[in-house]
Amino acid sequence: MGDYRGFWVFIEQLQGRVSDVGLELLGKARELADATNTYVGALLLGDFSKAKAKELISYGADKVYLFSHEKLATYHSLAYTKLVCQAVTQEKPEALFIGATPLGANLAPRVAAQLETGLSAHCVDLRLGEDGILEQIVPGFGGTMMAVIICPEKRPQMATVMPGVFPKPEPQDRQGEVISMAVEITEKDLVPRVVEFKAKEQKTVALDGASVVVCGGYGMGSKENWQLLEELARLLGGAVGATRPAVDEGWAPEEVMIGQSGKIVHPKLYIGAGVSGIMHHVVGVQDSEIIVVINKDPNAPFFQVCDFGVVGDATQVLPAFIGKLKERQKRACDFLSIETPQMNEGPYSPDSKGDSQ
Amino acid sequence: MPEAVVCVKPIPDPKHWDRLSLDPKTGVLRRGGIPTVINPLDKHALEIALQLKDNFGWEVTVVSMAPPETTQTLREALAMGADRAFLASDRLLGGADTLATAYTLAGLIKKKAPNFQMILCGNMSLDGSTSQVAPQIAHFLGVPHITHVSKIEAKDGITFKVTMDLKLAQLILEHQGPVVLAVTKEVNLPRLVNIMGILAAEKKPLEVLSAADLDLDLSKIGQNGSPTRVRNLFMPEIKRRREIIKGEPDEVAEELINRLHQVGML
Ligand SMILES: Cc1cc2nc3c(=O)[nH]c(=O)nc-3n(C[C@H](O)[C@H](O)[C@H](O)COP(=O)(O)OP(=O)(O)OC[C@H]3O[C@@H](n4cnc5c(N)ncnc54)[C@H](O)[C@@H]3O)c2cc1C
Ligand SMILES: Nc1ncnc2c1ncn2[C@@H]1O[C@H](COP(=O)(O)O)[C@@H](O)[C@H]1O
Repeated sequence: MGDYRGFWVFIEQLQGRVSDVGLELLGKARELADATNTYVGALLLGDFSKAKAKELISYGADKVYLFSHEKLATYHSLAYTKLVCQAVTQEKPEALFIGATPLGANLAPRVAAQLETGLSAHCVDLRLGEDGILEQIVPGFGGTMMAVIICPEKRPQMATVMPGVFPKPEPQDRQGEVISMAVEITEKDLVPRVVEFKAKEQKTVALDGASVVVCGGYGMGSKENWQLLEELARLLGGAVGATRPAVDEGWAPEEVMIGQSGKIVHPKLYIGAGVSGIMHHVVGVQDSEIIVVINKDPNAPFFQVCDFGVVGDATQVLPAFIGKLKERQKRACDFLSIETPQMNEGPYSPDSKGDSQ
Repeated sequence: MPEAVVCVKPIPDPKHWDRLSLDPKTGVLRRGGIPTVINPLDKHALEIALQLKDNFGWEVTVVSMAPPETTQTLREALAMGADRAFLASDRLLGGADTLATAYTLAGLIKKKAPNFQMILCGNMSLDGSTSQVAPQIAHFLGVPHITHVSKIEAKDGITFKVTMDLKLAQLILEHQGPVVLAVTKEVNLPRLVNIMGILAAEKKPLEVLSAADLDLDLSKIGQNGSPTRVRNLFMPEIKRRREIIKGEPDEVAEELINRLHQVGML
């Protein structure tokens, strides 16, 4: 539409730490901008130097709009809304993407309402329709239904996008500019007052980018049985994921929950054991190249959307599978006359016995 | 007395979503007669309001925008302990996206509960799952909002200490004055309905209002007021092998290894 040009990304940061989802979205915005001959804008709010903002250029931004102020280091919804709206009104981008994180979900709706434009939530894909309109793919009813949402008449077209659906681009040597924006905020923009910021310990989650994901569900039955998944993951060089009930049981940390409200993964191989295959979970794994399901209930819904489905008790099938994989590994090593490798502890098995020899 | 407004959304019961289908000709969603329930998180929002009522004597008003047959669903909120309910229901409101929904609910609140101290929402509705309505209501009413609320402390009933769960961190905020809060299930355990509540609910006011009753700008409601459109709906495509392996653990393990080897995974 007329005056509106450029694909913009809101770069989320928490206390100076830039979240991956912003970089992932820069990669996607780059692709869309290249296809339509326009530019990529990155919107960065925080207590940042120009040099720091410049790093975003290497991830695909042509222009970085920097709002730098010490008060912006911590998220304040009213202040952020005001400044984002100010930049958009001034520069008129045709689209604005924001991560579908708690912060993004807090900010984006208010920005959209103030700009009187449309916003689609938790997108799992973005593409351009034949008419050049942005098509935003949104799961509905827990993923049982997918909707293609468009915003035909209002600009910018806004979407919040699930973290992990687009790959994080490799930084490149690129040219671009950092534009310093004036920050005018008053005490009124800083309510409700933030009295404390409590960072949770940030563990690196092996799940991000893992080529093999072994995921356990409620059907694993116990923390002891969970060790089987840890062992299998170590053997395959993969990471362990979990469904929500398994996390609720305390068998795995929340960071490794996979699905609509957790992580989206796209490994080459996904193995789900004791997982029923409810869409909330399946939307997080459906981009896996091969899906293996182990479930004792032949009617489990997951069997409908898997490549290889093993009907059986995971607590029996997994030990057999692990045993045979070890045999294979040993045969291969003997053949090559090398030592069978020692297994390392996985990052998420602080209390596992490491009995994988 | 201060007033809390709770936004309650009737949704098709998630237990029966397998009955949803698409009309093959029109591509329109068929709800297959699924019964309506209160969006589960909205009961947590209501529980906050009811505790303010129990502890500080607040009044609790429920508002909703939904088809007229959902009044029965709203009775459950009254049975839990809310004082009154208002339902905006009108053909003109149909096809609303979050912006038009929030505009309408804000209009209903301005009309029927203009002196609210707190508006409580669920952090997300299970069917729409947008998490957008609460911040947008706050915009239209010109008050601040806090989402992803996992804890609320109401020491004196005037200043509130609220925890926003950002997943990787928590923001602890303090606030006095009108505000919109959107809560997660961590915030509390909603009370159950008892027979006394059900009997009392029958006598509580439940008013259905049309768009005209609410002095709304007609260009901002329903489909006309919705900047987004659904271009089409589709069921996620399944293009998987669906090869089922059965047998004794040793056999299936061997067979699985063979198949994974065949597709280049091992
Ligand atoms: C808004 C919303 C968002 C949600 N988001 C997510 C999300 O992001 N991620 C998520 O995972 N869930 C999510 N859920 C929950 C989701 O709906 C399902 O409840 C969940 O995915 C089911 O997990 P499960 O398969 O582990 O458990 P169950 O559904 O309880 O399934 C356990 C399975 O294990 C099988 N089993 C039992 N014993 C054995 C055995 N010994 N060997 C083999 N198989 C066995 C059973 O046959 C069964 O199929 C969400 C729900 C809601 C309402
Ligand atoms: N039609 C509605 N009527 C009343 N409240 C609603 C309606 N739609 C959304 N809400 C409120 O907004 C919250 C978030 O909904 P959503 O933005 O759809 O995820 C819900 O939990 C409700 O509290």
